[in-house]
Amino acid sequence: MTDETLARLQFATTAGFHWLFVMLTLGLAPLIAVMHTRHALGGAPLMERMTRFWGQIYVVNYVLGTVTGLVMEFQFGLAWSGLAEYAGNVFGAPLALETIVAFFAESTFLGMWIFGWGRLPKAVHVTLIWLVTLTAYASAYWIMVANGFLQHPVGHEVRGGVAHLTDFGAMLTNPNAINALVHAATAALMTGGVFVAGVSSYHFLKRTAEREFFRASLRLGLFTATPAAFVALYYGFVQIPTLVDTQPMKAATLRGHIDDVGSLRVEDVQAQLAQRFGAGDYRPPSWIATAFDVMQGVGYLIFLLVVVALVLLYRDWYLRFRPAAYLMLVAVPLPFVAAFGGWLLREVGRQPWAVYGELTTAAARSPVGSMTASLVLFCGVFLALAIADWALIARYARRGPADTDLGGSPGDGQAERPTASLAL
Amino acid sequence: MTLELVWPALLGLLLAGYFVLAGFDYGVQLLTPWLGRDDGERRALLNAFGPFFLGNEVWLVAAAGVLFGAFPFLEGRLLSGMYFLFAAILAGIVVGNAAVQLRSRHRGAPARRLWDGLIFLGGLVPAVGWGLVTGRLLAGVPLDARNAFSLGTADLLDPFVLLCGATTTAVFLAHGASFLAWRTGGEPSARAARAGRRALLVAAVAAAAVLVTGFLSSARHALVNPWPALAAGAALVVALLAGAALLRAGRTGRAFAATSCAAALPVAALGAGLHPFVLVSSSAPGTGLRLAEAMAEPGTLRLLAGFAAVMVPLMALSQIWNWWMFRDRASRTPTYL
Repeated sequence: MTDETLARLQFATTAGFHWLFVMLTLGLAPLIAVMHTRHALGGAPLMERMTRFWGQIYVVNYVLGTVTGLVMEFQFGLAWSGLAEYAGNVFGAPLALETIVAFFAESTFLGMWIFGWGRLPKAVHVTLIWLVTLTAYASAYWIMVANGFLQHPVGHEVRGGVAHLTDFGAMLTNPNAINALVHAATAALMTGGVFVAGVSSYHFLKRTAEREFFRASLRLGLFTATPAAFVALYYGFVQIPTLVDTQPMKAATLRGHIDDVGSLRVEDVQAQLAQRFGAGDYRPPSWIATAFDVMQGVGYLIFLLVVVALVLLYRDWYLRFRPAAYLMLVAVPLPFVAAFGGWLLREVGRQPWAVYGELTTAAARSPVGSMTASLVLFCGVFLALAIADWALIARYARRGPADTDLGGSPGDGQAERPTASLAL
Repeated sequence: MTLELVWPALLGLLLAGYFVLAGFDYGVQLLTPWLGRDDGERRALLNAFGPFFLGNEVWLVAAAGVLFGAFPFLEGRLLSGMYFLFAAILAGIVVGNAAVQLRSRHRGAPARRLWDGLIFLGGLVPAVGWGLVTGRLLAGVPLDARNAFSLGTADLLDPFVLLCGATTTAVFLAHGASFLAWRTGGEPSARAARAGRRALLVAAVAAAAVLVTGFLSSARHALVNPWPALAAGAALVVALLAGAALLRAGRTGRAFAATSCAAALPVAALGAGLHPFVLVSSSAPGTGLRLAEAMAEPGTLRLLAGFAAVMVPLMALSQIWNWWMFRDRASRTPTYL
């Protein structure tokens, strides 16, 4: 493998692990905020138990999301310093804003939410989970603005081989950022909804005692997943005209897999690009079309499943019809598979460019020698921690709400009222 | 002109905040396996920083964001130049962060013991690593004609750099101990205070050794402003000795304030020692990458400054709110961690 392949693999490993966890974070946060709000407003004990059970899974999932996110912040500088050299004036801004507008506040508020059970007033506690949700989506926005710039660089001009920011508004409203954000955010919501419905189905299949608990969870999961899946599919198609305009090569590679690519052909686009940028191979690997097919096929399948399941909610047919529960349980990994396909299409399909049409991936790489050692280090650490984390999530999910650590047993923590002490 | 003051000041503030806040996390992580006699005690020690833990680490995230947004021409050079050192620090933080949050999710003693080992390792690697980074930056880096560099192992095996690594480790250890002495009660607090006094004396000796080797070795020639850096180093020794005296007197809160100053002083030493450079050359004294060359163009900086003017006070307020909400001493019964 070349050094460039190793560097790309290291970035892909970090981003891939990050997204696997962040997807569920984004998907679960609004659901938990809704549960917590209903508990705070109505005082229903069921809603408190739901908040704590799903919140526990969310918090365990969040651990890997943040630690991989921390490494993400450094990956550009570590392995792709050419990107900062070329586009530092432009590309660094959304990443800086992501950290100070979103990531910082999200973590601070989540820490308070985790430890706030039985210690903070209810209104404050609920506000915190909404702030966590809001900042999580704000974070997604800024990241998509940064990624949108790599896909379709707007709002800048190049002087002396360095990009200069000219129109920040164009960057913020880049269609390659906004449409992809809606697509990815609703896919994440769908992931959260399917996850909640799938775990609930497990408890129906096992005939555990928590029937009411998981019935309410199932309904919330499906009422979220169904519209989210629809919008995610729709915003998949919305992106195609932009793709044809801004990344004709990627669109041409999908010829025969989607209808709207017009007269684009890989050979023609290759000839045009070679004329414009000089001799070179501007074709991404052809297997990105397969990645597209996987994403689209699995997406349709999920949509079909959640719609059928939604219909079966009528008169609780779902709870008596075991095949539905089996299917929903098996469906839990599907949104991750679809997202993996979509991510490969978007990022591998952009190659050989780091900044589309301006900076090649090869030119963006840091002058660091072989990255084998650090690739093995990061892969090993992420894989081991991810397995440990998923095992914990599976165990919490299996054991049900009686065995949740978050918040302790109700009323816990009020028994001992410690003395105030911030005084030096 | 103002932008050239505001952005370095903000980066310094975020880095200092990270050293102070994550510094006691790392110290507590280093101490927990030794100070906690049983699982319950170890949990109580971790829960002392519990509500603040997630909010502490993100100071590094914010510093990295500001480094990329406002200092893009330093960011790539610095991170890729110290590639393996930063990769190790990050891996250490990842492991430690996950271990702190996941260890009590397991019920079995063997799994918790394994996580405890990783909690220790995850405190040790960044504590040593940031000292090595600070030391190497102070002593200069092997810059080439493009002001880029790539560190080799030999660059880290310099006595001055190694002593800096030992100093930050001892400082963070002592800082964690004074935090525990302040925020826990009873026997664990007394044990932490004893450990803290010892760690503070070791840290003071290490810091003094850094000053002496720095004065004798090449570091003095690379530094643009040796005297302010020396003053920061001397202040470090004073803060450490003051912390030890305050811990002995049982004034744990004030001792924590003293060790907080000590944890922030390496950042002050960097800023004072290097200004107006951000990277200095180890081979050609008096040259390097200037602050002005490292920063983004004024338009980008002004735009970011608008956001920062709103966000940085809000960030500070959110953290103050967190400390105020959880101002009560950690209770003896374990909460979440």
